[in-house]
Amino acid sequence: MTATPDTGQRRRTSDSRPVITDLIDEDTILAVAGDAWISLVGEDEVLVPIPGDLPFDVVSSWVDVVGPWTGSVVLTTGRATAEALSRALLRESAPEVLEDEDVEDAFGEIANVVGGSIKAALPGPSALSLPQVGHAPLVRNPADVCRVEVLWRGEPLTLSVQGALPPLPVSH
Amino acid sequence: MRALVIDDSRAMRRIVTGILTNLGYEVRDAGHGREGLDVLDEGWVPDLATIDWNMPVMDGLQFVSAVRSNPAWRRMTMMMVTSESEHTQIVRALAAGAHEYMIKPFTADAFRDKLALLGLLPQEVAL
Repeated sequence: MTATPDTGQRRRTSDSRPVITDLIDEDTILAVAGDAWISLVGEDEVLVPIPGDLPFDVVSSWVDVVGPWTGSVVLTTGRATAEALSRALLRESAPEVLEDEDVEDAFGEIANVVGGSIKAALPGPSALSLPQVGHAPLVRNPADVCRVEVLWRGEPLTLSVQGALPPLPVSH
Repeated sequence: MRALVIDDSRAMRRIVTGILTNLGYEVRDAGHGREGLDVLDEGWVPDLATIDWNMPVMDGLQFVSAVRSNPAWRRMTMMMVTSESEHTQIVRALAAGAHEYMIKPFTADAFRDKLALLGLLPQEVAL
């Protein structure tokens, strides 16, 4: 019987995990978000892939994906744009006065729908969390982020698909 | 015809309620599966329930299973309306007793087409 030397290869292979850019690209995120926008926000509503400067007062909504890749799908925009988005989503169902709760709920639902579509493009099975609204989760690993900047009705909005785990230690 | 809309998002409840009301449905809504069961327990049994998957308290799959375990609610048609689009999830929902599956995002026309497939368009709309 010949003993196989332990080169550490098997351990290193099993320890590796994909980063989001191995799994999805900016064009796919843009296509997924564009489809969601047309269905949710309106047939004439387009996302233009042009970067813009976010205002100081921003809000984020996101859902977490847990599976072979674990992270969050995060939408970030100015509060006024989030309110406009909520009105567009609700259309004739929008109340005259939109409360903060209405905006959080609608903006969260947009993240839920976009996140569900992104999850479908990732290897599964994966679980999707309930949407959350507030300050975006921190980026734990800058290499595990795929980010798209767009304009909606001329206002900046970012879509970030970002890993929840810190980088693996570098083996020597 | 009656419909029960179950979704934890108020925005989505408003949107689905708007579509169904325009089609002539009498609609009630619920923020999660437990609230949905409370409506049924009152004796208000709809022709159609639209059900989100991921909700607090009681999720959509638990609601479908609970409905299927009660013969009094057997005539109710259940349609999942959810952003969960993995094939395995769809199979799980149908195996639990859901009749149809609609993936978010959807348009009002797509929603109407699903109802037509299920034979659940009110007569005056279907004509």
